Order: sequence, then structure tokens, then C-alpha cells
Amino acid sequence: MLFSPGWRAPVRQGEILAVFTLGLLLGGLPSATVIWLLSGLAAPFPPAFRTSAILAAAALGTARELGLIRLPLPQNARQIPPDVLQTRLRRGTLQFGFELGTGVRTYVPATTPYVLASALFLAGLPLPVTLLAGAAFALGRALSAALTYLARDDHRDTAIATRMPRMKTTAAIAVLSALALLLL
Amino acid sequence: MQELTAGRLRRGLTDPFLPVAALALLAVSAAALDATVLCWSSIGALAGFSLSGSV
Repeated sequence: MLFSPGWRAPVRQGEILAVFTLGLLLGGLPSATVIWLLSGLAAPFPPAFRTSAILAAAALGTARELGLIRLPLPQNARQIPPDVLQTRLRRGTLQFGFELGTGVRTYVPATTPYVLASALFLAGLPLPVTLLAGAAFALGRALSAALTYLARDDHRDTAIATRMPRMKTTAAIAVLSALALLLL
Repeated sequence: MQELTAGRLRRGLTDPFLPVAALALLAVSAAALDATVLCWSSIGALAGFSLSGSV
């Protein structure tokens, strides 16, 4: 959707990827800032309680990805309108990236982003670390688009869809393991 | 034996599972080494990448 075939692309695809990445960062950083501001609300709780809550959220997320429990995700069930990219390409791409980068303007069908948000909210990290995690979230989304661009594969969507369950499960287990190692 | 064409090689190197495996290893290793900033960054990137294909 983001990249059109080169022979009919009105602008360079690398430029579109750069603008998209900028949009993702512009969306991810405000979200991280809001989480950091809200994290003050969790500060009165004892550290042991907050650590337990983080690990419980990560365990719940992993159980859901493994299919052990059914848990609805509080996602914004809205798709970014395709015409965003069809009118003004650069501005539309920036807006598209921004909306995806915020993590709240469209579908979020994996549990790992929710675990990240709740962990950042409860951990009470310094602002720079929270912002870095938000920027990394944005760059993680950009990496997916960059690989799609580099793959030049007509069946890329199928390749992603086929691997998606394993990708989401692996990510959830890794996040649970990393948080347990880091916080315990 | 199947011929290794440039297209096959490119598709293999850009396999969507590879970044997940690399970031998962990085996150767990960073946590084991108490590298807090790297660990949170890896978790952030994993969370972003786990939304591949979603708009």
C-alpha cells in the first residue's frame, strides 16, 4: 500500500520510506511522552506491586498469543483511509506514519505493544529512556516497511501473513523473558 | 538442488521473522546483562515490528 511499483512511482520510493519513518517517529514520541506523564499516577504503588503487575501483563499477553486465553484488545478498530496516500503523497505518507506511530489511531492486533505501554506506565522510567522506547517502537514499524521495500517481492503480504503468528508469539515470549530478567 | 537466485537470496535476507529473532535475542541478552536502556529499546522495537503488515 505504501510503495507503488517503481515504473509508475511519481517520487523516489526511498524518499517515501524516509518521510514515513519521520512520521512514525513524530507519532511515537508524543505517545511515549503521554505514557511518561501518566506514569506518575503509578508512582505511589510499591515497586514490588508494580513489577508484579508488569510481569502479569506480559504473561497475559504471551498466553493470548499462544492461544491459551481469549482476551479482546482495546484497539481502535479503524483503518487509516487509503485516500490519505492518494492525494498529496509526501504529506499523506507523513500523516500515515504519524497515525501508525502513535499506536492509538488504528488497529493494534498484537499484544506486545500493550505490554510495552503498560510496562512503561508502571516502571517509572526516566523520560529519556521512555522516549527511546517510543522511538524504538516507531523504528520497529519502519523496519517492517523498509524490509518490504528491500524485498521487492510481489508476494510480500502473504509472506508476512504466513509468519505473523510465529512472529507475535516469539515477540511476546521474548518480552516476558526480558522483563522478568530485568526486573526480578 | 534449487538454484540460489538473487531474488531468492533477497527474499531470504528480508524474511520478516529474522528481525524478530534478532531483536528477541538482543532484548533477552540486554536484560541478562542489566543493560537497561538497550533492553527497553529492544522491547520497543519488538513491539513496533510485531505490528508488521497491520495498517
